Amino acid sequence: MGDFEQMNRRGFLKTSAAAGVAGSAAIGGGAVVSTLSTDATGLGSRPDGPVPETKITKNVCHQCPARCGIDVYVTNGKVHAIYGSPDHPISNGKLCPKGHLGAYILYDPDRFKGPMKRTNPNKGRNEDPKWQAISWEEALNTVATRLNGLRDKGEQHRFAIVNGRGWGSTDVGLLGNFGKLYGTPNSTLGHSSMCADTSKKAKSAIDGNYSYNSYDYKNTNYLLIFGAAFLEAYRPYNNNMQVWGHIRTKAPKTKVAVADVRVTPTGAAADHLMLVKPGTDGALALAIAHVILTEGLWDRKFVGDFVDSINLFKTGEELDPKSFKEKWTLGLIEWWNAELKDRTPKWAAEITTVSERDITRIAREFGSTRPAMAIFERGVTLHTNGLYSGMAVHVLNALVGAMYAVGGLANQMGVPYAKLPVSSDDFVDDAAKEAAARKMPRIDRVKSKELPLASNNIQGIAKSIIEGKPYTLDTIMFYITNPIYSAPNSKEWEEALKKVFVIETSPFPSETSVFSDLVLPDHTFLERFQDTPTYPFEGWPLTNIRVPAVQPLYDTKHFGDTLIEIGKRIKGPTSEYYQKVGNVENVLKAIAKGFEANPGSNGVDSYEKWVEKGVWYKKPYLYRQIAGEFYEWDGEDYRKPMSAEDVKKKLLKTESGKFELKSSYLEHYDEFIANALGIPKEKVGFPQWIKAKYTGGGDLHFIATKTPMHGEGRTANLPVAISLYQPTSGGRNELFLEIHPETAAKRGIRNGDRVKIHNDLGTIYARAHLFPACRPDTVTLPFGFGHWAHGRWAKGRMEGNTNEIIPNVSEPISNAAAVHTVTVKVEKA
Amino acid sequence: MARWGMVIDLEKCTGCQACTTACSMENSRLPGENWQDVLFYNEGEYPSGKLTWLPRPCMHCENASCVDVCPTKATYKDKDGFVLINWDLCIGCKYCMIACPYGVRFYAEEKQKTLPDVREVWPSKDGKVWDPPWAMPEHMNDPKHGVGIQPRNVVSKCTFCYHRVSKAPQGTPDLDPNDPKTREFTPACVVTCAPTARYFGDLDNPKSYVRQLIAEKCGVRLQDHTGNRPQVYYLAGEAASIPETRSTRTRKV
Repeated sequence: MGDFEQMNRRGFLKTSAAAGVAGSAAIGGGAVVSTLSTDATGLGSRPDGPVPETKITKNVCHQCPARCGIDVYVTNGKVHAIYGSPDHPISNGKLCPKGHLGAYILYDPDRFKGPMKRTNPNKGRNEDPKWQAISWEEALNTVATRLNGLRDKGEQHRFAIVNGRGWGSTDVGLLGNFGKLYGTPNSTLGHSSMCADTSKKAKSAIDGNYSYNSYDYKNTNYLLIFGAAFLEAYRPYNNNMQVWGHIRTKAPKTKVAVADVRVTPTGAAADHLMLVKPGTDGALALAIAHVILTEGLWDRKFVGDFVDSINLFKTGEELDPKSFKEKWTLGLIEWWNAELKDRTPKWAAEITTVSERDITRIAREFGSTRPAMAIFERGVTLHTNGLYSGMAVHVLNALVGAMYAVGGLANQMGVPYAKLPVSSDDFVDDAAKEAAARKMPRIDRVKSKELPLASNNIQGIAKSIIEGKPYTLDTIMFYITNPIYSAPNSKEWEEALKKVFVIETSPFPSETSVFSDLVLPDHTFLERFQDTPTYPFEGWPLTNIRVPAVQPLYDTKHFGDTLIEIGKRIKGPTSEYYQKVGNVENVLKAIAKGFEANPGSNGVDSYEKWVEKGVWYKKPYLYRQIAGEFYEWDGEDYRKPMSAEDVKKKLLKTESGKFELKSSYLEHYDEFIANALGIPKEKVGFPQWIKAKYTGGGDLHFIATKTPMHGEGRTANLPVAISLYQPTSGGRNELFLEIHPETAAKRGIRNGDRVKIHNDLGTIYARAHLFPACRPDTVTLPFGFGHWAHGRWAKGRMEGNTNEIIPNVSEPISNAAAVHTVTVKVEKA
Repeated sequence: MARWGMVIDLEKCTGCQACTTACSMENSRLPGENWQDVLFYNEGEYPSGKLTWLPRPCMHCENASCVDVCPTKATYKDKDGFVLINWDLCIGCKYCMIACPYGVRFYAEEKQKTLPDVREVWPSKDGKVWDPPWAMPEHMNDPKHGVGIQPRNVVSKCTFCYHRVSKAPQGTPDLDPNDPKTREFTPACVVTCAPTARYFGDLDNPKSYVRQLIAEKCGVRLQDHTGNRPQVYYLAGEAASIPETRSTRTRKV
């Protein structure tokens, strides 16, 4: 690349293109000569008359789970702008690139305009459902008739609701009661097994909290990131970037080291990027732990110390557990003896391909900087060894004393909602009780012998339906999820959804709706009331409310109201319960009564104020670990000492009340785990290196990555989002497979060639983008392309749906889909 | 009289493109007509290769070459430092697009990359390029300053959000989105920038924060040798994730 200063504009653009970047100024390359007719447009003067009023309503962005409070600007009845709410503690007046796309979603011309039923009995990708518009009355009665029919036969379990991104009390929060009252174990089939179940399981195995962590990023001085795209995809993206601006310019500046399998913007912006081989993050983390111990860098006040204060950790040498007095950890020496003593940087360098020098350097930096924290996400955990790799990373937080410390990690506190004035327990009738007594398993087989530790198994439902095991499903309803496109081996769902009555509730056409029998379209987020408690953020509780910016544009219905209306039509006392619940606004008003006794830090103490401000939150977080002692907030400061019992009850919720380096939880399932992973029974409790199993039968690792512009479920049909360039791998109506030039050359592939990406499961296509900075053994293609429905811009635009070549293989303990295990072959198409 | 200018801190910029989408939303841009673009570059090879980026608005040059070449005086330098296009005068000859050293001008009549063509999905009834439902409210359209949706066959570009900034009270040194008094006057890209990599203020006001930043952090201008004297300054601190070759090497103010 030449010297920028020497370039004229043409050179500037040419160089951009040579770098594989279509950052040119003009759209297209045509040379249209214009006419001298602009005066004819009549736009020479502003229209007279009074300036119309602009109204701002509070809402919450829907493009990711971060819960950014937004101000929605409406003038003349039209939404024309969306900005972050200045007084919202997550968005702070800012937004990520996706936040500004909201109006395009509202006005998407492909939205469903009202309820519809299918009239073409044949289902298939290319079968037109031949929709017929129907009334809500007919739509709801159709569902109720089916459900009551099943109920009459004692077959309520044959009805299932599969949900994606839930928001709060008015949507997925209603599903549990619906299942209980109607009598199906299948009302809460969540999508978390295609998401964070392995990450959460890794944390719960050692610290007892089955959840994401909250983080005090602003006060950390070292951020070690494993497989989490902090500046592209990691929630809360917007706030992460706010944090970034702060930590990278504060004094002292926070150092950031990233382990990832590709050159992400996060890695590019960080101080160090370690390009690990996919599936080997666990080895890297263990080696870092090894260095921290052998070089005596661990936090003695949190972890404890050798009895005589002399560091006895020496590579390869076993130790007497009695030689070390642990404080808040459990099993350190046993772990060292069983696993860690041989996990040297040299050993890890062989496995990860990161140099020994770099591993040692990062370990020393991380271990000798306070406060420091290690974070990880799906890059680490969506592998067959993801549970133990995730544990290996999380352990680092104990070693440097980051748990519940300033600049460290904590857990999220819940919101003190009031209960509904009506209790579902009073309306469980005999039909529901008999259904419960039948103890029918869930259709996704969770909690069966096959999946004893799993929370969900959305990726396994298609198989259950196809095989009719454990029983044949009759009706399935989808809410904000589209597994027929987004699940691993997504094509399997095309067979499955032919066999059941399918109800889709999305406001938008989707691949699911192509196979649906009934569409009950939801409002979009800018048209609905909805509560949205935060995902783990900074620990203190926070919940938002969505307030409609405009009246619903079409004849749609809030999913929560759809569910309540179906409930009103179920036989027996269920109907009475839902009559009493009424609608989602009643639910919101009822839960907001909890704010009366707990006014928020922003003065919100009622439903009305919640609607006005858009958010209730209450600072501070109540717990803190300071130099190995735990304290609770006393109203002014962290001064109230916590006993070991308090810590166990409120923070480290393991059996021992300690941070368990030997997990008692996993040891309870030693036989299952030993069989599933082929490790010795006596070792199942320890964070450890397990080789990842690679699937697909290819010779290149295949990473399906999330790009910063991928908003949940809808950006594929938004022309503004489609047209934007995505770092190295897509955009401008192009879809690029990131591939190393040498890897490409061996296969006769040149930059820009159309390539065939295939493996045991299938074949997809993309265009090659030769990227010399990427790993030669790894190719990357963003997910979210290759739609065959989903609206006029999304459909048929690109052919590469990554899920069609990702085998349905899961981490065997937590059961999260191990999508990064896949390998492929690439050749010129 | 002000001389509005922008400072972009590349050490903080994460390349997220929120500036781009905020601009598209605020100014009702066509897909791909990114008045505020972010360019990405690759440099080096595995395992020490780099991905870098550069956000690029119109530089609103003091000595703008686009103004010099415009045959109809449609492109002009405003008294407050904006470089604007009067769409009533623009004949779409595109000389300005060639003259601009930064590639920040657009001509919307060309084939859309993203099909079906949004101009056909949301056609305008009154001769504009398009008319989407989320368009800037009609009363804010201001073709003499290149604000709003343009008529057909004209060139368009970043206005520094003229419709917002020009309403700021006289003498305001800085437009800070965190200050409720100035938030609504601040350009959309500056308002939304999550890492606060963007600052906007009066370059002629010695008390402005933008002046201070340029002085303290050695603000540089792109392609200064052209003599265009941009009013957008970049801060290229040590850890800035920027292309090595993109900022000027001489770090003089």
